[in-house]
Amino acid sequence: MKAPLSWLKEYVAIDLSVEELASRLALTGTEVERVTTAGVPGDEENLQRFVVGKVLDCQRHPEADRLSVCQVEVGEAAPRTIVCGAPNVAAGQTVAVVLPGGVLPGGTRIKEAKLRGVVSSGMILSEAELGLAAKSAGIMVLPSEWQAGELLASHFQLSDWVLEVEVTPNRPDCLSVRGLAREIAGITGAPFAEDLAFSVPWGSRTIDQDIAIEVQAPDLCPRYAARVIRGVTVAESPLWLKARLAHAGLRPISNVVDVTNYVLWTLGQPLHAFDLRTIRGGRIIVRRALPGETIVTLDGELRRLTPDMLVIADAERASVVAGIMGGEESEISESTTDVLLEGATFAGPSIMRTSAALGLRSEASTRYEKGLDPEMVPLALDMACSLIVELAGGEVSVGTIDVRAYEHVPRRLRLRPQRVAKVLGTEVAQAETQTILERLGCQVTPAGGELLVEAPSFRRDLEREIDLIEEIARIHGLERLPSTLPARRQGHGGLNRSQRLRRRVEDLLVGAGLTEVINFGFTDDRWPDRLRLAPADSLRDGVRIANPLSAEQSMMRTLLLPGLLATAQRNLAVREERVHVFEVGRVFIPQGASLPREDLHCGILCLGPWEPAGWLRSQATVDFFLIKGLLERLADGLHCELRFRALQGEECERAAFLHPGRSASVCSAEGSVLGWVGEVHPSVLQAYDLRGPAAAAELDLEQLLECADEIPMFRDLLAFPPVEQDLALVVDKSLPAAELVARVREAAGPLLEEVRLFDLYEGAQVPPGKKSLALRLNFRSPERTLSEGEVNELRAKMLACLRKELGAELRG
Amino acid sequence: MGQARGDQPTGPTSWQIGPDSARIDALEGAVIDRTDPILEQISREDLKAIYLDGLAAIAAAADLAELAEVRVRFLGRKAPLVQLLRSLGELPVEERPEVGRVGNLVRRTLEAKADARERELESWKLAQTLEHDRIDVTLPGRYSPLGRLHLITQTRREIEDIFIGMGYEIADGPQVETEYYNFEALNTPADHPARSLHDTFFVSEGILLRTHTSPMQVRYMEKHRPPVHIIVPGAAYRRDSDATHTPMFHQVEGLVVDEGITLADLKGTLETFARAMFGADRRVRLRPHFFPFTEPSVEVDVSCMICDGAGCRLCKQTGWLEILGAGMVDPNVFGFVDYDPELYTGFAFGMGIERIAMLKHRVNDLRLFFENDLRFLRQF
Repeated sequence: MKAPLSWLKEYVAIDLSVEELASRLALTGTEVERVTTAGVPGDEENLQRFVVGKVLDCQRHPEADRLSVCQVEVGEAAPRTIVCGAPNVAAGQTVAVVLPGGVLPGGTRIKEAKLRGVVSSGMILSEAELGLAAKSAGIMVLPSEWQAGELLASHFQLSDWVLEVEVTPNRPDCLSVRGLAREIAGITGAPFAEDLAFSVPWGSRTIDQDIAIEVQAPDLCPRYAARVIRGVTVAESPLWLKARLAHAGLRPISNVVDVTNYVLWTLGQPLHAFDLRTIRGGRIIVRRALPGETIVTLDGELRRLTPDMLVIADAERASVVAGIMGGEESEISESTTDVLLEGATFAGPSIMRTSAALGLRSEASTRYEKGLDPEMVPLALDMACSLIVELAGGEVSVGTIDVRAYEHVPRRLRLRPQRVAKVLGTEVAQAETQTILERLGCQVTPAGGELLVEAPSFRRDLEREIDLIEEIARIHGLERLPSTLPARRQGHGGLNRSQRLRRRVEDLLVGAGLTEVINFGFTDDRWPDRLRLAPADSLRDGVRIANPLSAEQSMMRTLLLPGLLATAQRNLAVREERVHVFEVGRVFIPQGASLPREDLHCGILCLGPWEPAGWLRSQATVDFFLIKGLLERLADGLHCELRFRALQGEECERAAFLHPGRSASVCSAEGSVLGWVGEVHPSVLQAYDLRGPAAAAELDLEQLLECADEIPMFRDLLAFPPVEQDLALVVDKSLPAAELVARVREAAGPLLEEVRLFDLYEGAQVPPGKKSLALRLNFRSPERTLSEGEVNELRAKMLACLRKELGAELRG
Repeated sequence: MGQARGDQPTGPTSWQIGPDSARIDALEGAVIDRTDPILEQISREDLKAIYLDGLAAIAAAADLAELAEVRVRFLGRKAPLVQLLRSLGELPVEERPEVGRVGNLVRRTLEAKADARERELESWKLAQTLEHDRIDVTLPGRYSPLGRLHLITQTRREIEDIFIGMGYEIADGPQVETEYYNFEALNTPADHPARSLHDTFFVSEGILLRTHTSPMQVRYMEKHRPPVHIIVPGAAYRRDSDATHTPMFHQVEGLVVDEGITLADLKGTLETFARAMFGADRRVRLRPHFFPFTEPSVEVDVSCMICDGAGCRLCKQTGWLEILGAGMVDPNVFGFVDYDPELYTGFAFGMGIERIAMLKHRVNDLRLFFENDLRFLRQF
């Protein structure tokens, strides 16, 4: 909200500079977004240059049809010659003049200047040039009783400081100049003009003769009050009012409407003015909208209403969306003579819902939705009536129609000083507490070591003791609070097992050369097709966003791979050819009507050369074995064993995005599937405009971490030496190496400590359909030194076993 | 005498060793050194000649093969010296001891000289090999790929570690959340004006993407009794996308509940955090604010690390940078989890990880965090 400083000063005696005031407001909870100046620069010297002038003579410029040469009396010895381009300038007018040296809003300095051969020593001003209107057709004509040479600043606010404050949703009382002034009084101790009363010039008719009010939805309208003013003359507002509104960022419209806005800004109470003649049937009905009812609001839009929306109607139809925006039909026009003035309070939640549903917000709705004080209504109506009669004439019909569906019960709260200390961690003296609360408008009565506090009606946020404590904290000053650290009773801080291991996984992958990426939790809805998923694949059924920002972000991911592929695509687009990345993040698996399962996955994608081109020739290529090696490294770092087996049956279909011959399931030592690894299917790469080869893996990280051995136990590998044996075995080409290793382990028994496959040979030296696998075996006993004979015996037994089971032969 | 020569292989202080001509001249100078004490003991001319020839030949051997030949010539079975010693019996009796003693002295001396020369030639040969291996040490090293943690992860860990040091545990909660936990149990009923500040992604009736990490406050308190000291790092979502908002972002929530927890404790905690994160000389200020689930509520500013409070572009001339929101847990929230608000008090805070990272590393565009451009990620 924009609050001009001069306006604030009508209600509170501020003796701080505007910067000090802004800082004090910020430190007590009212954010000041900026402090600006409105109107012309406000220094005394500049204000002296803006004066009232009388146009004594006005002739067409000899050299220019559109210019006039005026002689203007400005209270000096002789009139000044001023060239004016406005079409409406004429002799006899009283005008606003800026003398040379004056600076306009926006910083333009007026100089004596020659215009087509005539020296102009000043300028006759329009409203736009003074920042009072967005556009002006011509110069402004001032009241003729203003005297030449008088300062414009003596007639209206030519310049002002403006505080733009951001008010938190709990403080609608500060969405007004007077409310903000009261807050300033509360935080600075400056005197506040508490008493405010307006005398209403009552006419002769009574209001019952003009209108009847019926509130059919009292639940949505706690108070509806009305006044009638007859015989007004709708015209432009005086300059003082225009300046006030303009400096507050409001657009002056007409005297009657401007008064309602002025009251709104002053008190925070929205008012609505109807043209009484447009009200059919002499009745105002406050009711819910009828099904299918529509209304054309002031902004010219046709609004479709629903029955949960509150409207102000006449005997026939809705004319206002209650508390939000009026209708075109009943608005005040130049021909309006009789005004119905509404001052009401509406239920905040209803206003908020309606405002959201219609996508329509106004100064009124932003206040109503936060919940306004119904007690403000009478004062606002009095103020508006007195101003309308002053500015537009007319007579106020006697009486107020006031329909109230609430009873004002003052809120009386108990405040315990020891509770204040318990929450704040510091003692605040009772006298200070009392002063703070009284300045904010509370009535405070000490009672037996406690304070009984009656909260003012406009502070609807003060409902509980804790709310009072907050007020004390912010005004006592948070800067005065001590700084302490809480005692840590029981327990201790730290990461838990899975948090520690998750960090280890991330560090292992980073150490292996992968860079971590973080993608959004939602993805587009095209990825399942790009990944060649079967139509019935359950990964397609992600959690859908009901109101996505775009189709690109419409579904919660069920797999990390699409995000990684998109990452690669974006990086390739900026000529980054090596994309070796991983992501640790949640995927979302729907669980019917309940919340989805959120599994923690770890995804890896390697695309492009493993090493950058360099003078040393690169060896590693990105393929299945590279990424398998990364997973083996991970397993090593976690002290667990991973098993890899070719995808089988349904697994192949589900992993349609992988190279069918170069992909595997990743399993725990116990055989449960943790994820997959493989080269990415060429068609998938094509769908993402990527050139392969690329290899990827994705694991359920929580399951993987369960396999980890976080506290490895000591094994004595030092006391007794191992016996090492190499073995080259010729087996069927189709036999998976892992199976041979498993059989070797099985056949050799517990003394076989380690098996490592170190060579694979297929070719001339082995029979067709066969391959040779070379294994290095380490035998060791934890209890004694193994003898050569013992190991040879084991080896022979093992070979016999392998020959029998796999047809394996020792390679000659 | 020339004992400097041959007795000690030249050490690796210089790679420029070897039988260059200057050395040989020096050696020959040594050979005819008349002060050699051994020479004085040799009276027989033939032995003297053998000795001097032997010394000269050893010194002149240019490589190991030549030296081997010299050994054969002077110390081998057929060498005159060896022959002489073997035929001692043929000499007159009175000459035998003298010739035997001096002959053996000559032999041992020549052997020692030959050994020394051998060591010298070997070390020269090694030095030559090493010299041959010389490389350009300014060429780039062998590449071993190094990855990076995402800046968000690095920052998250840093925040976590600071709070772990203050005794906090880390909790995690669902991102797809119920309206109940995200709003209602946080004292934000359906029609609360504060809800309009959260532009929410909805999944279905009553289910949404959490708009903050605060729902975990309630979930955690439902399952644990005080004392509670937790932080909750994680992703949150708001329906907002522009230069300063991404639809997903990361927060760290903090919650401490116990008997006797005060606003002063919150102040001290956040000051400690801010100094640990941004430097010991940072100043911290609390400004009152409003959140539905804390009362009193505050926003926390840290003095600008660029201008140190003087005012600059980063802090928009205010000298202060807002880093988080916080407050004392509202008694209504305790009502939802059946904590006695008369007995327990607590504080909560929430900060944006991206915001902290941007301030700390002076990243100027929030969107960079989610574009995953390697040119960005590799910088940290």
